[in-house]
Amino acid sequence: MSDKWLNRPDGMDSLAAALPSIDRALDRRINADPENLERGLAQLVLTIVELLRQLMERQALRRIDDGSLDDEQIERLGQTFMKLSERMQELREEFGLDEEDLNLNLGPLGNLL
Amino acid sequence: MTTIAEQDVALIDLLDRLLGGGVVIFGDITLAVADVDLVYVGLRALISSVATAREQGVLPEMGDAL
Amino acid sequence: MIELYAITDHPGPALPDARVLRVVSRGSLAGVYGDAGDEAITPDALWRHEQIVEELMQERTVLPVRYGTRFADERAAGQVLEERREQFAAALERVRGAVELAVRVIGRADQPKVTGPAQSGTEYLRARLREHASESEAVHVVHEPLSELARDHVLRPVVLADERMRAAYLVEATAVQEFSATVQRLQDAHPPLLITCTGPWPAYSFTQS
Repeated sequence: MSDKWLNRPDGMDSLAAALPSIDRALDRRINADPENLERGLAQLVLTIVELLRQLMERQALRRIDDGSLDDEQIERLGQTFMKLSERMQELREEFGLDEEDLNLNLGPLGNLL
Repeated sequence: MTTIAEQDVALIDLLDRLLGGGVVIFGDITLAVADVDLVYVGLRALISSVATAREQGVLPEMGDAL
Repeated sequence: MIELYAITDHPGPALPDARVLRVVSRGSLAGVYGDAGDEAITPDALWRHEQIVEELMQERTVLPVRYGTRFADERAAGQVLEERREQFAAALERVRGAVELAVRVIGRADQPKVTGPAQSGTEYLRARLREHASESEAVHVVHEPLSELARDHVLRPVVLADERMRAAYLVEATAVQEFSATVQRLQDAHPPLLITCTGPWPAYSFTQS
């Protein structure tokens, strides 16, 4: 393996915890069972749901920045987004998908973020 | 001598490219309506089956839509 | 069964490993391929595949092909070259003379991503605001200067904890040194950030229009 490093910062070991495991990174992309459409479809659907969730969250954050929301509205919105985020996590776990799996290249749609 | 973390990052950068990038011949769908691209997605599980069907001559040609 | 490594110009220089690699050509396009093996997909196998594409990159402009792209035979591969001739020719021009560099920015010893039912809704959104602010800052401080040195770039959504930026740059092969030095300078100027840069890679992220 040739050395691909151009900038190798100090303290990279602290990254180790944050990085997805290599096995996961390989499994994600290598389709072990070509007949299993369900996981691929789940991946697509959840990717789009996640995109929408992020878009809506950003919209809310913009309004907080604007100052156009009162404290009560902020708290209510926050509760909703928190629950949404938790639900997404549950759904991901149900299908054995992690955050990188929902990072599909959505082409033109991906530019919305 | 690279550390484990350094090997991992280089490998992940490789995987992102080799497995997630590059020219795609079988494997990504552009969903189009009236010539307007709606969704362009990588769907490896789904397309793997479609590609196999195509290779076996079971699936008719659909041009760029599939 | 054959495995396609890359699409390149035709005619071109002699192949680096003529025992293992062959060429199928249609018009001014060529596909470089080899026999498809049935080895397990391990990091070593991937690096070996990558090494072949990078050797090709030394003397040619290449459009790297996604790993695992297989055809029944060279005729099937040739057909795809025909069908997508314009697309591939345009893509080759876009990446000619350039390589891809990958840059990540991660926050060092940052506040951890805050999640969980113990929080209030307000705390949740405030934490999100802080995250977005640090991501915007990373883009401003790292991406903007780097994009000046690149022909093109792709910014991807961040996914990992404490990840602030994830980008690919299409850089003239002759400008890699300067780009690398700039990354180093940016790293030195911003100790709370961890900036990784790997490459040169073949232009994997720039093959589609």
